[in-house]
Amino acid sequence: MPHVSFELLFPVSIVAGFVGAMAGMGGGVVIIPVLTLLGVDIKHAIAISILSVIATSSGSASAYIRDHITNLKVGMFLEMFTIAGALTGARITLAVSPRPLYIIFGLVLLASWLALLFGSHKLAHTGPQDKFTHWLELEGSYPDRVLGQTVHYKARRAYFGAPLMYLAGIIAGLLGIGAGAVKVLIHDLIMGLPPKVSTTTSNMIIGVTALAGASVYLVAGLIDPGLAAPVILGIAIGAFAGTRLLVRMSNQAVRRFFLFILLILAVEMMVRGIRGGL
Amino acid sequence: MTDDPKIGAGKHAGATAGDLGETKREFDMDAVVGYILLIGVLISLVLVVSALIWRWIDTRALSFDYKLTGMNLFQLVLDEVRLAAHGMLRPRLLLSLGIAMLMLTPYIRVLASMVYFMAALKNWKYSVFTAIVLLTLTYSLFLR
Repeated sequence: MPHVSFELLFPVSIVAGFVGAMAGMGGGVVIIPVLTLLGVDIKHAIAISILSVIATSSGSASAYIRDHITNLKVGMFLEMFTIAGALTGARITLAVSPRPLYIIFGLVLLASWLALLFGSHKLAHTGPQDKFTHWLELEGSYPDRVLGQTVHYKARRAYFGAPLMYLAGIIAGLLGIGAGAVKVLIHDLIMGLPPKVSTTTSNMIIGVTALAGASVYLVAGLIDPGLAAPVILGIAIGAFAGTRLLVRMSNQAVRRFFLFILLILAVEMMVRGIRGGL
Repeated sequence: MTDDPKIGAGKHAGATAGDLGETKREFDMDAVVGYILLIGVLISLVLVVSALIWRWIDTRALSFDYKLTGMNLFQLVLDEVRLAAHGMLRPRLLLSLGIAMLMLTPYIRVLASMVYFMAALKNWKYSVFTAIVLLTLTYSLFLR
Protein backbone atom coordinates (compact mmCIF):
# COMPACT_ATOMS: atom_id res chain seq x y z
CA MET A 1 0.00 0.00 0.00
CA PRO A 2 1.48 3.40 -0.93
CA HIS A 3 2.30 5.84 1.81
CA VAL A 4 -0.02 8.84 1.82
CA SER A 5 1.53 11.83 3.54
CA PHE A 6 -0.14 13.72 6.37
CA GLU A 7 0.27 16.94 4.41
CA LEU A 8 -1.97 15.55 1.66
CA LEU A 9 -4.39 13.51 3.72
CA PHE A 10 -5.25 16.18 6.29
CA PRO A 11 -6.58 18.84 3.85
CA VAL A 12 -8.25 16.16 1.73
CA SER A 13 -10.08 14.89 4.83
CA ILE A 14 -11.22 18.40 5.76
CA VAL A 15 -12.72 18.75 2.27
CA ALA A 16 -14.32 15.28 2.51
CA GLY A 17 -15.93 16.11 5.87
CA PHE A 18 -17.12 19.44 4.51
CA VAL A 19 -18.59 18.04 1.29
CA GLY A 20 -20.27 15.19 3.20
CA ALA A 21 -21.88 17.59 5.67
CA MET A 22 -22.98 20.05 2.98
CA ALA A 23 -24.64 17.26 1.03
CA GLY A 24 -26.42 16.11 4.17
CA MET A 25 -24.44 12.89 4.56
CA GLY A 26 -21.44 11.90 6.64
CA GLY A 27 -17.79 12.22 5.70
CA GLY A 28 -17.41 8.47 5.15
CA VAL A 29 -19.15 8.45 1.78
CA VAL A 30 -16.59 10.95 0.48
CA ILE A 31 -13.38 9.86 2.20
CA ILE A 32 -13.60 6.19 1.15
CA PRO A 33 -13.63 6.84 -2.62
CA VAL A 34 -10.95 9.52 -2.18
CA LEU A 35 -8.67 7.26 -0.13
CA THR A 36 -8.97 4.49 -2.72
CA LEU A 37 -8.11 7.00 -5.47
CA LEU A 38 -4.97 7.85 -3.47
CA GLY A 39 -4.02 4.19 -3.60
CA VAL A 40 -5.25 3.04 -0.18
CA ASP A 41 -6.75 -0.44 -0.21
CA ILE A 42 -10.56 -0.25 0.13
CA LYS A 43 -10.71 -2.36 3.30
CA HIS A 44 -8.22 -0.06 5.07
CA ALA A 45 -10.22 2.93 3.80
CA ILE A 46 -13.44 1.44 5.22
CA ALA A 47 -11.77 0.77 8.59
CA ILE A 48 -10.44 4.33 8.89
CA SER A 49 -13.73 5.81 7.75
CA ILE A 50 -15.77 3.96 10.35
CA LEU A 51 -13.53 5.41 13.09
CA SER A 52 -14.12 8.93 11.81
CA VAL A 53 -17.87 8.16 11.75
CA ILE A 54 -17.76 7.66 15.55
CA ALA A 55 -16.25 11.14 15.95
CA THR A 56 -18.63 13.04 13.67
CA SER A 57 -21.82 11.27 14.75
CA SER A 58 -21.06 11.52 18.48
CA GLY A 59 -20.11 15.18 18.09
CA SER A 60 -23.33 16.16 16.37
CA ALA A 61 -25.54 13.76 18.36
CA SER A 62 -24.37 15.49 21.53
CA ALA A 63 -26.08 18.79 20.72
CA TYR A 64 -29.33 17.16 19.57
CA ILE A 65 -29.60 15.01 22.69
CA ARG A 66 -29.07 18.03 24.92
CA ASP A 67 -31.82 19.82 22.95
CA HIS A 68 -34.22 16.95 23.88
CA ILE A 69 -34.98 16.08 20.28
CA THR A 70 -33.36 12.63 20.26
CA ASN A 71 -35.51 9.76 21.56
CA LEU A 72 -33.25 7.62 23.80
CA LYS A 73 -35.70 4.70 23.92
CA VAL A 74 -36.13 4.49 20.16
CA GLY A 75 -32.33 4.69 19.89
CA MET A 76 -31.67 2.04 22.52
CA PHE A 77 -34.20 -0.40 21.08
CA LEU A 78 -32.97 -0.08 17.50
CA GLU A 79 -29.28 -0.17 18.48
CA MET A 80 -29.69 -3.82 19.48
CA PHE A 81 -30.32 -4.54 15.81
CA THR A 82 -27.89 -2.15 14.13
CA ILE A 83 -24.95 -3.36 16.26
CA ALA A 84 -25.62 -6.99 15.38
CA GLY A 85 -25.85 -5.90 11.74
CA ALA A 86 -22.57 -3.99 11.89
CA LEU A 87 -20.74 -7.03 13.30
CA THR A 88 -22.15 -9.13 10.44
CA GLY A 89 -21.34 -6.48 7.84
CA ALA A 90 -17.73 -5.98 8.95
CA ARG A 91 -17.12 -9.72 8.89
CA ILE A 92 -18.48 -9.90 5.35
CA THR A 93 -16.06 -7.15 4.31
CA LEU A 94 -13.13 -9.11 5.77
CA ALA A 95 -14.20 -12.19 3.82
CA VAL A 96 -14.96 -10.83 0.35
CA SER A 97 -12.72 -9.54 -2.43
CA PRO A 98 -12.53 -5.77 -3.05
CA ARG A 99 -14.52 -5.65 -6.32
CA PRO A 100 -18.00 -6.33 -4.94
CA LEU A 101 -17.29 -3.78 -2.18
CA TYR A 102 -16.76 -1.07 -4.81
CA ILE A 103 -19.99 -1.99 -6.56
CA ILE A 104 -22.07 -2.20 -3.36
CA PHE A 105 -20.56 1.08 -2.17
CA GLY A 106 -21.55 2.76 -5.43
CA LEU A 107 -25.07 1.34 -5.29
CA VAL A 108 -25.66 2.37 -1.65
CA LEU A 109 -24.29 5.83 -2.33
CA LEU A 110 -26.56 6.14 -5.36
CA ALA A 111 -29.61 4.99 -3.37
CA SER A 112 -28.82 7.42 -0.54
CA TRP A 113 -28.34 10.13 -3.13
CA LEU A 114 -31.78 9.48 -4.61
CA ALA A 115 -33.32 9.43 -1.13
CA LEU A 116 -31.73 12.78 -0.30
CA LEU A 117 -32.67 14.37 -3.60
CA PHE A 118 -36.27 13.23 -3.81
CA GLY A 119 -37.01 12.47 -0.17
CA SER A 120 -39.96 14.43 1.07
CA HIS A 121 -40.17 15.15 4.75
CA LYS A 122 -43.83 14.49 5.28
CA LEU A 123 -45.33 14.92 8.70
CA ALA A 124 -45.46 11.79 10.82
CA HIS A 125 -48.50 9.57 10.37
CA THR A 126 -51.10 9.93 13.02
CA GLY A 127 -52.70 6.50 12.79
CA PRO A 128 -53.13 4.25 15.82
CA GLN A 129 -50.06 2.78 17.47
CA ASP A 130 -49.77 -1.02 17.31
CA LYS A 131 -49.59 -3.04 20.54
CA PHE A 132 -45.95 -4.07 20.20
CA THR A 133 -44.68 -0.54 19.64
CA HIS A 134 -46.89 0.64 22.51
CA TRP A 135 -45.38 -2.06 24.74
CA LEU A 136 -41.94 -0.76 23.73
CA GLU A 137 -42.95 2.73 24.93
CA LEU A 138 -41.75 4.24 21.66
CA GLU A 139 -43.28 7.68 21.87
CA GLY A 140 -42.30 11.08 23.11
CA SER A 141 -42.33 14.80 22.59
CA TYR A 142 -39.84 17.47 21.64
CA PRO A 143 -39.79 21.25 21.63
CA ASP A 144 -40.01 22.44 18.02
CA ARG A 145 -38.50 25.92 17.77
CA VAL A 146 -39.83 26.57 14.27
CA LEU A 147 -43.42 25.59 15.04
CA GLY A 148 -43.11 27.22 18.46
CA GLN A 149 -44.72 24.30 20.25
CA THR A 150 -44.01 20.91 21.76
CA VAL A 151 -44.68 18.14 19.25
CA HIS A 152 -46.02 14.86 20.66
CA TYR A 153 -45.64 11.71 18.60
CA LYS A 154 -46.08 7.94 18.75
CA ALA A 155 -43.90 5.60 16.74
CA ARG A 156 -45.41 2.63 14.94
CA ARG A 157 -44.46 -0.70 13.36
CA ALA A 158 -41.33 -1.36 15.45
CA TYR A 159 -41.66 -5.05 14.50
CA PHE A 160 -40.91 -4.06 10.91
CA GLY A 161 -38.41 -1.29 11.68
CA ALA A 162 -36.19 -3.55 13.81
CA PRO A 163 -35.22 -6.15 11.17
CA LEU A 164 -34.73 -3.35 8.64
CA MET A 165 -32.38 -1.63 11.08
CA TYR A 166 -30.38 -4.86 11.21
CA LEU A 167 -29.95 -4.51 7.44
CA ALA A 168 -28.96 -0.84 7.86
CA GLY A 169 -26.36 -2.02 10.40
CA ILE A 170 -24.98 -4.51 7.88
CA ILE A 171 -24.55 -1.70 5.34
CA ALA A 172 -22.81 0.51 7.93
CA GLY A 173 -20.42 -2.23 9.04
CA LEU A 174 -19.82 -3.50 5.52
CA LEU A 175 -18.96 -0.14 3.98
CA GLY A 176 -17.65 1.82 6.96
CA ILE A 177 -20.24 4.56 6.63
CA GLY A 178 -22.94 5.87 8.96
CA ALA A 179 -25.69 4.82 6.51
CA GLY A 180 -27.72 7.67 8.02
CA ALA A 181 -29.88 8.09 4.91
CA VAL A 182 -31.02 4.46 5.18
CA LYS A 183 -31.75 4.75 8.91
CA VAL A 184 -33.70 7.99 8.47
CA LEU A 185 -35.79 6.40 5.72
CA ILE A 186 -36.73 3.52 8.04
CA HIS A 187 -37.56 5.91 10.89
CA ASP A 188 -39.63 8.18 8.63
CA LEU A 189 -41.47 5.80 6.37
CA ILE A 190 -41.82 2.64 8.45
CA MET A 191 -41.95 3.90 12.02
CA GLY A 192 -43.59 7.26 11.38
CA LEU A 193 -41.21 9.33 13.49
CA PRO A 194 -41.18 13.10 12.94
CA PRO A 195 -38.26 14.09 10.63
CA LYS A 196 -36.31 15.90 13.37
CA VAL A 197 -36.57 12.99 15.77
CA SER A 198 -35.65 10.49 13.09
CA THR A 199 -32.53 12.40 11.93
CA THR A 200 -31.21 13.07 15.40
CA THR A 201 -31.96 9.62 16.79
CA SER A 202 -30.31 8.06 13.75
CA ASN A 203 -27.26 10.20 14.51
CA MET A 204 -26.98 8.71 17.99
CA ILE A 205 -27.45 5.16 16.69
CA ILE A 206 -24.71 5.68 14.09
CA GLY A 207 -22.04 6.14 16.80
CA VAL A 208 -22.48 2.79 18.58
CA THR A 209 -23.08 0.99 15.29
CA ALA A 210 -19.77 2.33 13.98
CA LEU A 211 -18.08 1.23 17.20
CA ALA A 212 -19.17 -2.38 16.67
CA GLY A 213 -17.81 -2.33 13.11
CA ALA A 214 -14.59 -0.56 14.16
CA SER A 215 -13.88 -3.26 16.78
CA VAL A 216 -13.92 -5.93 14.09
CA TYR A 217 -11.58 -3.90 11.87
CA LEU A 218 -9.23 -3.13 14.78
CA VAL A 219 -8.72 -6.80 15.61
CA ALA A 220 -8.26 -7.57 11.90
CA GLY A 221 -5.34 -5.09 11.91
CA LEU A 222 -6.97 -2.83 9.33
CA ILE A 223 -6.85 0.35 11.40
CA ASP A 224 -3.64 2.14 10.49
CA PRO A 225 -3.01 4.84 13.14
CA GLY A 226 -0.86 6.85 10.72
CA LEU A 227 -3.81 7.14 8.33
CA ALA A 228 -6.37 7.48 11.10
CA ALA A 229 -4.85 10.61 12.70
CA PRO A 230 -5.21 13.02 9.76
CA VAL A 231 -8.52 11.52 8.61
CA ILE A 232 -10.28 11.70 12.00
CA LEU A 233 -9.05 15.24 12.63
CA GLY A 234 -9.72 16.47 9.11
CA ILE A 235 -13.22 15.02 8.83
CA ALA A 236 -14.17 16.32 12.28
CA ILE A 237 -13.06 19.85 11.31
CA GLY A 238 -14.66 19.70 7.85
CA ALA A 239 -17.96 18.28 9.10
CA PHE A 240 -18.13 20.85 11.91
CA ALA A 241 -17.62 23.71 9.45
CA GLY A 242 -20.04 22.19 6.91
CA THR A 243 -22.81 21.65 9.46
CA ARG A 244 -22.46 25.19 10.79
CA LEU A 245 -22.67 26.60 7.27
CA LEU A 246 -25.56 24.34 6.24
CA VAL A 247 -27.93 25.54 8.98
CA ARG A 248 -27.41 29.15 7.89
CA MET A 249 -27.81 28.45 4.23
CA SER A 250 -31.14 28.57 2.46
CA ASN A 251 -29.83 28.24 -1.08
CA GLN A 252 -30.79 24.84 -2.50
CA ALA A 253 -28.48 25.27 -5.51
CA VAL A 254 -25.37 24.96 -3.36
CA ARG A 255 -26.67 21.80 -1.75
CA ARG A 256 -27.46 20.34 -5.16
CA PHE A 257 -23.90 21.05 -6.24
CA PHE A 258 -22.57 18.98 -3.33
CA LEU A 259 -25.11 16.25 -4.05
CA PHE A 260 -23.81 16.22 -7.61
CA ILE A 261 -20.29 15.50 -6.31
CA LEU A 262 -21.69 12.49 -4.44
CA LEU A 263 -23.35 11.25 -7.64
CA ILE A 264 -20.01 11.38 -9.47
CA LEU A 265 -18.34 9.45 -6.63
CA ALA A 266 -21.10 6.81 -6.70
CA VAL A 267 -20.80 6.25 -10.44
CA GLU A 268 -17.01 6.29 -10.30
CA MET A 269 -16.93 3.61 -7.58
CA MET A 270 -19.32 1.38 -9.50
CA VAL A 271 -17.33 1.74 -12.73
CA ARG A 272 -14.10 0.83 -10.94
CA GLY A 273 -15.79 -2.17 -9.34
CA ILE A 274 -17.19 -3.42 -12.63
CA ARG A 275 -14.02 -2.84 -14.67
CA GLY A 276 -11.76 -4.35 -12.04
CA GLY A 277 -7.98 -3.86 -12.03
CA LEU A 278 -8.21 -1.82 -8.83
CA MET B 1 -51.11 19.59 22.43
CA THR B 2 -49.38 22.92 22.63
CA ASP B 3 -46.91 24.01 25.25
CA ASP B 4 -44.85 27.13 25.56
CA PRO B 5 -41.59 26.18 23.86
CA LYS B 6 -39.66 28.42 26.23
CA ILE B 7 -40.67 26.22 29.11
CA GLY B 8 -38.74 23.33 27.56
CA ALA B 9 -39.18 19.58 27.66
CA GLY B 10 -38.73 19.27 31.40
CA LYS B 11 -41.79 21.19 32.46
CA HIS B 12 -44.84 20.45 30.34
CA ALA B 13 -47.65 22.66 31.52
CA GLY B 14 -50.33 20.09 30.83
CA ALA B 15 -48.43 16.99 31.89
CA THR B 16 -49.66 14.70 34.64
CA ALA B 17 -47.64 14.31 37.82
CA GLY B 18 -46.20 10.98 36.66
CA ASP B 19 -45.23 12.40 33.29
CA LEU B 20 -43.63 15.33 34.93
CA GLY B 21 -41.40 13.19 37.10
CA GLU B 22 -40.22 11.11 34.19
CA THR B 23 -39.59 14.01 31.84
CA LYS B 24 -37.68 15.84 34.54
CA ARG B 25 -35.37 12.92 34.99
CA GLU B 26 -35.08 12.57 31.21
CA PHE B 27 -34.08 16.21 31.09
CA ASP B 28 -31.09 15.52 33.30
CA MET B 29 -30.20 12.32 31.46
CA ASP B 30 -30.25 14.02 28.07
CA ALA B 31 -27.68 16.48 29.36
CA VAL B 32 -25.48 13.74 30.85
CA VAL B 33 -25.58 11.60 27.70
CA GLY B 34 -24.98 14.64 25.49
CA TYR B 35 -21.98 15.78 27.50
CA ILE B 36 -20.49 12.29 27.66
CA LEU B 37 -20.44 12.21 23.87
CA LEU B 38 -19.09 15.74 23.52
CA ILE B 39 -16.36 15.41 26.15
CA GLY B 40 -15.32 11.95 24.91
CA VAL B 41 -14.85 13.15 21.34
CA LEU B 42 -13.05 16.32 22.45
CA ILE B 43 -10.61 14.39 24.68
CA SER B 44 -9.96 12.02 21.80
CA LEU B 45 -9.28 14.84 19.34
CA VAL B 46 -7.02 16.63 21.85
CA LEU B 47 -5.02 13.41 22.32
CA VAL B 48 -4.59 13.00 18.55
CA VAL B 49 -3.52 16.64 18.12
CA SER B 50 -1.08 16.34 21.06
CA ALA B 51 0.39 13.20 19.52
CA LEU B 52 0.96 15.05 16.25
CA ILE B 53 2.53 18.08 17.94
CA TRP B 54 4.82 15.86 20.02
CA ARG B 55 5.78 13.91 16.90
CA TRP B 56 6.52 17.15 15.06
CA ILE B 57 8.75 18.45 17.87
CA ASP B 58 10.59 15.11 18.00
CA THR B 59 11.10 14.38 14.34
CA ARG B 60 9.89 17.39 12.29
CA ALA B 61 7.51 14.98 10.60
CA LEU B 62 3.84 14.23 11.13
CA SER B 63 3.74 10.64 9.99
CA PHE B 64 3.26 7.60 12.18
CA ASP B 65 4.07 4.21 10.86
CA TYR B 66 3.14 1.52 13.28
CA LYS B 67 0.57 -1.17 12.93
CA LEU B 68 -2.08 -2.36 15.32
CA THR B 69 -2.11 -6.02 14.49
CA GLY B 70 -4.52 -8.48 15.99
CA MET B 71 -5.18 -6.37 19.07
CA ASN B 72 -8.55 -5.58 20.54
CA LEU B 73 -9.18 -2.27 22.26
CA PHE B 74 -8.27 -3.45 25.75
CA GLN B 75 -5.04 -5.11 24.63
CA LEU B 76 -4.15 -1.91 22.80
CA VAL B 77 -4.70 0.27 25.86
CA LEU B 78 -2.92 -2.21 28.18
CA ASP B 79 0.07 -2.41 25.85
CA GLU B 80 0.49 1.34 25.64
CA VAL B 81 -0.03 1.89 29.37
CA ARG B 82 2.50 -0.83 30.18
CA LEU B 83 5.08 0.84 27.93
CA ALA B 84 4.30 4.19 29.51
CA ALA B 85 4.75 2.69 32.98
CA HIS B 86 8.23 1.58 31.93
CA GLY B 87 9.06 5.17 31.15
CA MET B 88 8.64 4.75 27.40
CA LEU B 89 6.54 7.83 26.80
CA ARG B 90 6.11 8.24 23.08
CA PRO B 91 3.84 10.25 20.79
CA ARG B 92 2.24 7.01 19.60
CA LEU B 93 0.99 6.42 23.13
CA LEU B 94 -1.16 9.53 22.81
CA LEU B 95 -2.36 8.56 19.34
CA SER B 96 -3.35 5.06 20.44
CA LEU B 97 -5.09 6.49 23.50
CA GLY B 98 -6.90 8.98 21.24
CA ILE B 99 -8.22 6.13 19.09
CA ALA B 100 -9.14 4.14 22.21
CA MET B 101 -10.93 7.13 23.74
CA LEU B 102 -12.90 7.63 20.53
CA MET B 103 -14.05 4.01 20.58
CA LEU B 104 -14.88 4.11 24.27
CA THR B 105 -17.06 7.23 23.97
CA PRO B 106 -20.23 5.53 22.61
CA TYR B 107 -19.55 2.61 24.96
CA ILE B 108 -19.57 4.88 28.02
CA ARG B 109 -22.74 6.51 26.71
CA VAL B 110 -24.50 3.12 26.64
CA LEU B 111 -23.15 2.31 30.12
CA ALA B 112 -24.56 5.58 31.48
CA SER B 113 -27.92 4.89 29.79
CA MET B 114 -28.10 1.50 31.50
CA VAL B 115 -27.47 3.00 34.93
CA TYR B 116 -30.18 5.53 34.16
CA PHE B 117 -32.79 2.99 33.05
CA MET B 118 -32.00 0.72 36.02
CA ALA B 119 -31.42 3.10 38.89
CA ALA B 120 -33.35 6.26 38.02
CA LEU B 121 -36.31 5.05 35.95
CA LYS B 122 -36.41 1.45 37.26
CA ASN B 123 -37.55 0.57 33.77
CA TRP B 124 -36.64 -3.12 33.56
CA LYS B 125 -37.67 -3.50 29.95
CA TYR B 126 -35.16 -0.89 28.85
CA SER B 127 -32.58 -2.04 31.39
CA VAL B 128 -32.62 -5.40 29.59
CA PHE B 129 -32.44 -3.81 26.11
CA THR B 130 -29.53 -1.61 27.17
CA ALA B 131 -27.81 -4.58 28.79
CA ILE B 132 -28.07 -6.49 25.50
CA VAL B 133 -26.50 -3.54 23.64
CA LEU B 134 -23.77 -3.27 26.27
CA LEU B 135 -23.01 -7.01 26.22
CA THR B 136 -22.82 -7.07 22.41
CA LEU B 137 -20.47 -4.08 22.43
CA THR B 138 -18.34 -5.63 25.19
CA TYR B 139 -18.14 -8.81 23.16
CA SER B 140 -17.04 -6.82 20.10
CA LEU B 141 -14.38 -4.96 22.10
CA PHE B 142 -12.97 -8.26 23.38
CA LEU B 143 -12.91 -9.92 19.95
CA ARG B 144 -9.72 -11.77 19.15
